[in-house]
Amino acid sequence: MKSGIEKKKARWGWFFVLPAIIYFSIFSFFPIINAFRTSLYRWNLLSLNPPRFVWFENYIRLFQSEAFWNSVKATAIFTVGTFSSLLIGGLALSILIFSRKRFRTFFQMALYSPAVLSTVVAATIWLLILDPRGLGNSVLNAVLGTSGKDYQWFANPDMSRISTIIIYFWKYIGHFTILFIAGLSSIPYTIHEAAIIDGAGPWKKYWRITFPLLKPTVVLVCVLSLIQCMKSFSTQYLFVQSGAPRAPIDVLTLSIYDTAIRDHQIGRASAMSIILFLTLILFSWAQLRLSRSEEVSFQ
Amino acid sequence: MKLKGMFLVGILLICAVFAATIELTVWTHEDPNRTLLEERYIEEFQKLYPEVSVKRVTYPSAKIKETVLTAFSAGKGPDIFNMEVQDEYPYIVNRRVAPVNPAALGYKNVEEIYAAYLEGTLDPVSYQGKLYGVPLEITNWCIFVNTRYTKALGLDFENNYPKTWEELMEVSDKLTLRNGEIITRRGFDFRYPYYLTIFTPMVEQMGGYLLNKEGTEAIINPQAWVEVLTFMKEWGPSGRNLGSPTYTAARKNWNKDDGSIVMIESGLYQILRLKAENPELYESKEWMVIPWPVFENAVNHVKGNYYGHYYVVNAQSSPEKQEWAWKLIAYMLKHTGEYFEEVGLIQPTYELMESEVFKNFPYANVFMEDMSQAGCVLLHQAGPRLEQLIREAVESVMLSGVTPENAVKTLKAKATEVLEDY
Repeated sequence: MKSGIEKKKARWGWFFVLPAIIYFSIFSFFPIINAFRTSLYRWNLLSLNPPRFVWFENYIRLFQSEAFWNSVKATAIFTVGTFSSLLIGGLALSILIFSRKRFRTFFQMALYSPAVLSTVVAATIWLLILDPRGLGNSVLNAVLGTSGKDYQWFANPDMSRISTIIIYFWKYIGHFTILFIAGLSSIPYTIHEAAIIDGAGPWKKYWRITFPLLKPTVVLVCVLSLIQCMKSFSTQYLFVQSGAPRAPIDVLTLSIYDTAIRDHQIGRASAMSIILFLTLILFSWAQLRLSRSEEVSFQ
Repeated sequence: MKLKGMFLVGILLICAVFAATIELTVWTHEDPNRTLLEERYIEEFQKLYPEVSVKRVTYPSAKIKETVLTAFSAGKGPDIFNMEVQDEYPYIVNRRVAPVNPAALGYKNVEEIYAAYLEGTLDPVSYQGKLYGVPLEITNWCIFVNTRYTKALGLDFENNYPKTWEELMEVSDKLTLRNGEIITRRGFDFRYPYYLTIFTPMVEQMGGYLLNKEGTEAIINPQAWVEVLTFMKEWGPSGRNLGSPTYTAARKNWNKDDGSIVMIESGLYQILRLKAENPELYESKEWMVIPWPVFENAVNHVKGNYYGHYYVVNAQSSPEKQEWAWKLIAYMLKHTGEYFEEVGLIQPTYELMESEVFKNFPYANVFMEDMSQAGCVLLHQAGPRLEQLIREAVESVMLSGVTPENAVKTLKAKATEVLEDY
């Protein structure tokens, strides 16, 4: 049985979280529930006729659709490519910057600066760079010693995938590097000192101390970057608008947008959104679950 | 007595306030030259009818589709709007726009409206015996040539311009400059995303069609599609490398005369845009307009499809607003000559076509000659989806190494699947 003070505390707790509950109910939970409801209807956005309840027909049609599975494949390739490069690159850069005594803030600021640009601006800059007559071809020709070769940054299906991954990596690497640096800073230096006294070299110190103690940050970065990658839209949208072949970069978000806005089929678009949402929840849950097996404590 | 007077004044004031509350919203696409004109017309209209206030909002062409759709799906659409007719068509079919009000437009009846416009030009907005809009502009594309570059190569376009796609390819090959594989100057390049405007007429020239007459079957005469896709493959980077959808849109650079493009596809409005953006080139006369080509062994001598922007009125606006909306449209569109002279927009009225202004306008005859052989862009609820599928097919042969035969097979299968939804 709870004491009077605990009850009082709990009441105040509810009071303080109430604004957040209201906020998330209106702007997150309601749209999710509404999207699920909509996904059960055959609903033309422009039609004045009432939408028709079709149970899970939209989901069944999606699972039978070649275009949907192509979108799943495009999303998976983009997510794996971007997620892994952000994770490895972020970790490597954070260790590099953390080991520097001078210019640490400068490097952090320089790396973070693309993140403050809107994705549309970032993609537009890169579209100029990756234009056949742009900097991308010039640099690659100079580096590889080729002359006048068009690396087809947009035109070739594989290259267009790589290009979208490069843009995303460039834009978000700073953000995740800073998260890793924050994680590294939270590891007490005394542990490193003890390891040095015990004769551990830098490599051993990293694998036996830094990396295990950084695990909560790694999990956080994994969850955040995975969500970020799977939600990617603007880069692929601008690429397609600029003439890049659609199929290799037709990620789920782009497909959702077209199904709703171009085809006016809001029911099917909602079904795709729900599938994407459940996939994100599943991956995030799995990552958190896996990370729980080895809780980290600095005690 | 004093109290009574104050009460009456109050009533009059309230009446005055409510009388001046007709607010019309007009959503249209960006066009700086037209904005100047229409803002003036709106100002004049508001002076004539002080009880009406008009809010005109412009959106980029690519953005207006989704903005109007989102507004309509939320029941907050504008009173008046215009888009490309293929995008307006679903609004007509779904009864989201109102039939025209002939009296408010200044006509005795609908027949009189049809009689004022060139035959067939109101068909795209006619549905089940009713008329739903009036044209702001009708556009077809011809080929604009920067003759400075053709003359430099000794090509005499004045007397011998390319009349077939094959000839255009040969000429383009001569005009194209490359640094290795990278094109630094294109001879000609297509307006790639507009496949229902440019690509389907090319297929029709070869005897193929996107849909059968009933609209129930897609990709009629696949061999014609294969032939045109083969031509596009030859055009692209894996063929003669004359252009590609991934280069900057050709029309964006043509006015600049920056040496990156010699020939483009565009409408009559391009002439006045050239005059505004590059008066030097305009005055130099080192440019010309030639007809849209046909294939050497074409079975149908059709030209690039025409499309239009039609002013339409929201069916969910109040009847009073609808009436004022048609009055405003009528007021703006009565300046047909000015729209043509200042912006280069063709409102296909007999009055304009027979005017000296039109007859004396540079290359108007070239556009009209092509228009007489052109069909309207596809009007179908699945139009945008089908255009996307054609785009995928063209890009797959030009950029991804897919054979034209396989691209047509995939296109037919996907288009058939799309038609099942309608």
